[in-house]
Amino acid sequence: MAATTGPNTVSAGRYVGQAVKRLEDPRLLSGHGRYVDDVQLPGMLHVAFVRSSVARGTIVSIDTAAALALPGVHAVYTGADLNPRVGMFWHTMMGPPPELGGQTPYAPLTPLAGDDVRFVGDPIAVVIADNRYIAEDAADLVEVEIDAQQAIVGWETALDTDQRVHPGMASNVGQEMPATEVPEVEALFAGAPHVFTRRFAQCRATNVPMEPRGIIVHFDQYAGDMQIWAATQSASEWKATASRLTGVAEHRVKVVANDVGGGFGQKMMMTRDEAAVVMAAHLFGEAPIKWTEDRRESLMTANQGREEICDVTFAVTDDGVLLGAKVVFWEDIGAYPSAASSIAGMAGAVFPGPYKFPVVLPSGSTLYTNTVGKAAYRGPWMIETVAREQMMDHIAYELGIDPIEIRRRNVIHADDLPYTTCTTMVYESVTPSETMEQALEMLDVAAFRAMQAEAREQGRLLGMGVSIYIEPSAVAFGILSSDQAIMRMDNSGKVIVAMSTGNHGQSLETTIPQIVAEHLGCNIEDVLLVQGNTESSPTGPGTGGSRSAVVAGGAAMTAALKLKDKIVQIAAHMLEASPDDMEVNESVVSVKGTPAKALPFAMIAPIAYQMPEMLPQGMEMGLEVTARFQPAGQYTWSNATHVCTVEIDPETGMTKILRYIVSEDCGRMVNPMVVEGQIAGGVVQGIGGVLFENMIYDDDGNPLCTTFLDYLIPTAPEVPDIEVGHIETLAPGLTGFKGMGEGGAIAAPPCVANAIHDALRHLGIHPTTFPLGPSQVLQLLNDAKG
Amino acid sequence: MKPSPFTYHAPESIAEATALLAELGDDAKALAGGQSLVPMLSLRLAAFEHLVDLNRVAGLNAIERVNGHLRLGATVRQATAEHSAEVKSSVPLLARALPHIGHFQIRNRGTVGGSIAHADPASELPAVALALDAVIEAAGPGGTRRIAASDFFVSTWETALNDGEILSAVEFPVWSGRCGFAVEELTRRHGDFAIVGTAVGVQVDGDAVTKATIALFGVGATPLRASEAEAALMAGADVAEVARAATAGLTPSDDVHASGAYRTQVAAVMVRRALTKAIQEARA
Repeated sequence: MAATTGPNTVSAGRYVGQAVKRLEDPRLLSGHGRYVDDVQLPGMLHVAFVRSSVARGTIVSIDTAAALALPGVHAVYTGADLNPRVGMFWHTMMGPPPELGGQTPYAPLTPLAGDDVRFVGDPIAVVIADNRYIAEDAADLVEVEIDAQQAIVGWETALDTDQRVHPGMASNVGQEMPATEVPEVEALFAGAPHVFTRRFAQCRATNVPMEPRGIIVHFDQYAGDMQIWAATQSASEWKATASRLTGVAEHRVKVVANDVGGGFGQKMMMTRDEAAVVMAAHLFGEAPIKWTEDRRESLMTANQGREEICDVTFAVTDDGVLLGAKVVFWEDIGAYPSAASSIAGMAGAVFPGPYKFPVVLPSGSTLYTNTVGKAAYRGPWMIETVAREQMMDHIAYELGIDPIEIRRRNVIHADDLPYTTCTTMVYESVTPSETMEQALEMLDVAAFRAMQAEAREQGRLLGMGVSIYIEPSAVAFGILSSDQAIMRMDNSGKVIVAMSTGNHGQSLETTIPQIVAEHLGCNIEDVLLVQGNTESSPTGPGTGGSRSAVVAGGAAMTAALKLKDKIVQIAAHMLEASPDDMEVNESVVSVKGTPAKALPFAMIAPIAYQMPEMLPQGMEMGLEVTARFQPAGQYTWSNATHVCTVEIDPETGMTKILRYIVSEDCGRMVNPMVVEGQIAGGVVQGIGGVLFENMIYDDDGNPLCTTFLDYLIPTAPEVPDIEVGHIETLAPGLTGFKGMGEGGAIAAPPCVANAIHDALRHLGIHPTTFPLGPSQVLQLLNDAKG
Repeated sequence: MKPSPFTYHAPESIAEATALLAELGDDAKALAGGQSLVPMLSLRLAAFEHLVDLNRVAGLNAIERVNGHLRLGATVRQATAEHSAEVKSSVPLLARALPHIGHFQIRNRGTVGGSIAHADPASELPAVALALDAVIEAAGPGGTRRIAASDFFVSTWETALNDGEILSAVEFPVWSGRCGFAVEELTRRHGDFAIVGTAVGVQVDGDAVTKATIALFGVGATPLRASEAEAALMAGADVAEVARAATAGLTPSDDVHASGAYRTQVAAVMVRRALTKAIQEARA
């Protein structure tokens, strides 16, 4: 899929920098992965939910008698049974709510609906039965009477109405970052040669992990232990949350995450449905209970993302030089958002992106509505790039400047570095200008423009789009600030590294061993990553936010160097040489220049564990090290430029992507194949968000996209080959790695939108709103014809 | 996504199957390829106490030439028909419609008869049956009867089949002379249900169109024939004009993918493109 070009400015090692084939693939690609639903336990029972069919209303009555009478049904629990038993329900990353001394304004979180329902799909009762068939039959037999009220749908409605999504709250505003009035900025805008304002809108999307949510919980009431198998990005977080929910002491909760089939942010924090299963198992106490979310539940009830509006006002010179921006973010966060926090702070901070803005003033509000709650979704703050990169084109056309040229006039160049943005972000090693020029060269702009002109003569509509972004990877605050590696070489010289990562598609089972093997000097097949088991792995934040290569990779590298140091000391002692004269290759320590004086790891390890008399004096036995790694800055910046070309059918409004090009710089690449896979996956999701995916609710809050017939994700025939160019500029610090897991998804939507804009602008069409599917584009064409 | 309980029946003859269906009435549903019925059961959008599986019924899976028609038994798989040389040469319009149905995995199980009996107004095969004036053979406890395609499609998922009747075969007329056929449809993605589509056929004599058929799908509760537009084409109207006539007065409904107005507008584009191709083929 990826044709790689571009200079490799960094030399690859034996493993780091090589396209090592994935160690997990033989298992996963042959269909032998072990996901939550594959786990079968003796005596295990199955859960189905009773869910609300209306978006807003008061629960008048719940009658569970018929369900309980069905043979094979063991229990039916409602909110009245489970909610009062909850100890605390909050997430480590966000900290406790204000009433518990924290600062995060959570939605009022209860596992099940209490007196009222707040979205279609709101869980009302948990049924536990012999199997899922009976559980679903019983769920159908639970009679729920609801006094329905008019749903609050859409952020503007939520802002205007005197009704509340969460009764008792003063307003429907979840969080607010007020606009700041700065007299100098007002003067700047008043005196600017040009001021342009646009409203850009993203439509709602959902994460669509291949494996929906799933959890098995066994509370052994006799032992007092709870064991959980979960589809999670962080086993550590599930352990903490389950303990807070139930009051079972955290060290008596064990969480296992085997293979996890994607998450894209949806599985970072435990949701209400999973909490309800935890609470139900705690109350039930007898047997393990399993909930496997089905696809319809996933589309109807798993948290969703992207429904964001961005009002941007840019002040510019006649030449298109940026003078300043005001940005207002509006977010529809549904009823029970998983993260509870606004993206406005982050989106505002990174809004300047690759350009030299003298000033940016962000503000924003989140609005509760009677819809599914908002999830973090691959680049949750991405509206800043979506809006900024489209705005650059709108301004360019207003001023009669080429969109490429206006970017060249504002982009940060190598000689600007280190560069501190007006929002105080510090870039030390980014290459926005270099990636843009590389991507444009890969396209051959002149050739495309000629083809476009010729096509236009024939009435065909071709366009090209560009978008640049700088990705704030590996965000480091709170629990996200560090990762740990617990590394041990066993008696035979093989290495186990236990980490708190939550690999769910990131290839960490390959890339972490690559890093360890590179820096320990062993063969990759001698290294095993152990993760997703809270009894063997350390406490940590899991995998998300483009962090694992940077932070977990840093911890793995540090631990490998520490372990190597000890191994070398033992070998040097045995060989009566100085540790400084030793070298390590392919699991053998030898004296430099004297290869005959050598000891393999397989001989050193037994000495460390069994022959204290042969160790250097005072050395602790064993070969076990730990290392905790904190990245140097709060963000580790990576960057990329996307360029694509499209053709639009003027009679149907269908857009076909002709070429898609990405030039990226994620620092030292651990594995170029994995980097390109991450880019491809993100780009496909980004394309989906413009051309295909649109999670629609009607005015009564009914979700209209509850199957894959209605919610369209791009499939292989809709996706072009993605051509990738690399530029490697080392990140500051030990490893040189930069995170890049989200960038593909962030830069793709404005790139596709800009290409559509370019194809249509000569007709007077200037789109600002997603989706841009065939019916929307044909409408724009019809409107332009008048 | 588990179906509610049902009893599964696997009769081995048409008589046995139709007797069962007649006895069980509304509580029973015939199962062929299961590509529409099974998902509907799993989503609990439909529930039947009895499923009568036709897959083991003898003599339902033949493709044969009968009296100027090509006859396909009820359980002929879509993939079998798609790759049949007989279908390709005798009923080109059917052969061209089949690859548009879902994905190959779906066509491996789905049946030609099942798709027609299911009567989804957005699917291709009902439109092909209507375009070609196919004859649907219905088998019931009292024997068989023949139903014209124009009488068969009643509404969305609703046909002229009575309780106890199954679709036992479909007979497609074989066109002769210089003919051309085309299926054009707009799908958001490869394999999706069409937002709107058309199946057309023409027969020409020199420059004159001597026979024309235009069926539309995705524009109403059933597939529709554009008879006036067919007449206009035979009277010498140009294809753009015919396409406008074919879609005038349509009132398709809105859904998450497109408005009714979009469907009407694009239906005309599809008809024009299909007729252009078909005429080109016929004249070649």
